[in-house]
Amino acid sequence: MGKRLRGVLVTIVFLNGVSLWGESENIFERNCVPCHQELPTSLGEMFKSYLLVYSSEKFVKAGIKHYLRHPFKSLSVMSDLFIDTYGIKKPTHLTPKELDEAIDIYWEKFKVFDKLK
Amino acid sequence: MVIFGITLLSAFYYESQKKLALSNYRVMMAQYAYIQTKRLKVLHHFFPDRREYPRDPRFTSAIYDIEFHKIFSLNRVESIRFDEEIYLTNGYVHFIKGLDTYYLGTRYLVIEVQDDAKWEVAIWKDIALYGTIAFVLFLLFGLYLAKLFLKPMRDSIMLLDRFIKDTTHELNTPLSAILANIEMMDTDVMVEKNRKKLERINIAAKTVSTLYKDLTFLTLEQEKKNEDEHLDVKEIVLDRVEYFDILARSKQVTFSLALDDATLYMDRRKFTRIIDNLISNAIKYNKRKGAIKITLEPNRLIIEDSGIGIDEEKIPLMFDRYLRFNSSEGGFGIGLSIVKKIVDEYGISIDVTSQKEVGTKMEIRWEND
Repeated sequence: MGKRLRGVLVTIVFLNGVSLWGESENIFERNCVPCHQELPTSLGEMFKSYLLVYSSEKFVKAGIKHYLRHPFKSLSVMSDLFIDTYGIKKPTHLTPKELDEAIDIYWEKFKVFDKLK
Repeated sequence: MVIFGITLLSAFYYESQKKLALSNYRVMMAQYAYIQTKRLKVLHHFFPDRREYPRDPRFTSAIYDIEFHKIFSLNRVESIRFDEEIYLTNGYVHFIKGLDTYYLGTRYLVIEVQDDAKWEVAIWKDIALYGTIAFVLFLLFGLYLAKLFLKPMRDSIMLLDRFIKDTTHELNTPLSAILANIEMMDTDVMVEKNRKKLERINIAAKTVSTLYKDLTFLTLEQEKKNEDEHLDVKEIVLDRVEYFDILARSKQVTFSLALDDATLYMDRRKFTRIIDNLISNAIKYNKRKGAIKITLEPNRLIIEDSGIGIDEEKIPLMFDRYLRFNSSEGGFGIGLSIVKKIVDEYGISIDVTSQKEVGTKMEIRWEND
């Protein structure tokens, strides 16, 4: 009885954990953050590099999307030193819809609009 | 024309001065933009740890992305003309700088300063001053030109006036002698042939006399002081009709009179000139065997003839000096201008109605005190 009860409790906690994990981690956090955590340059800094080159929401998003699908050194906004050290990422395996969704989240997270005072 | 020219010049001057003022602003605001760009670079570096947009007491600014979306603004005027580098709107000067490196996504940096409008006050002062001087100069030049063009006309009028003045002076004595002697002649004892000749002399002398009186009135007498009195208009009209009767008979023109008693307070000499001119015109421009109807009422006198009449559009011109509509008749064309001058002086109204080949009706109205 005691063993069975413990088994049920463990199952409930695990399932809750799975469901909480599913709710808190979005497509951006699942597919982008893990790899970038290992890099010395944060996603926020990279976002500013995109802003320096592309300026507006539409152009930044288009620039990121194009690079993720066709990652070439010549298209990267990062410095040569950075690329030479850490290399070029592999092309994304996300569908265009998933990619758009991840980029939207990225934009919303780091955008400058409404943050200055 | 002159005003249009001055306005056009003023507009050009205003625009050029405005450009000059803006170019002065441009130098200053380009420096501000440079400073602000450096500050944006720093902010970009420290964002998002630092989020306070850089401020400066000398100017305000705003940043826009490449699609003209506002990222942040401290400016008071929000609508921006991105196709111009510098411009003035609602009392503020805007300077737009395009950034090569898009710090915080900034493609356009808009610097705004309040326009002190000193340059505008200076421009308006200049325009008012130089505009007035130019206007006066043009006016004087115009007057000079007008004088130059009118000089020949004025000279000929002066020549005519001088001639009339000189000649009329010498006419009085012989004319009076002729008329007095004709009056004294006993026509009853004359043979018919001589009597007719004498009548013709009488008519000619009276015509010259009327003309003489008009000319002397114009040149010599009109400066004389008025001797106003209450006139018996009926008596004067009868006297003048009798005087002109012989002239009328020569053209077989008959008078028909309907005269009430009427009085008028004015100079006898001047009123006689009015009557004489109206009656002599009625005879002169009448046809043979025509008629003249004179109606006198307490406040108006009407003289109608059955003559040649004149065109309606020429009526306003008939009081002009030296203007005659019919060159077949003699005269200087001064009679009606004298009439007009006198009636205007006394506030008497004169109306003319005329129909070609039917006749002319002259009506004068006055008010008794």
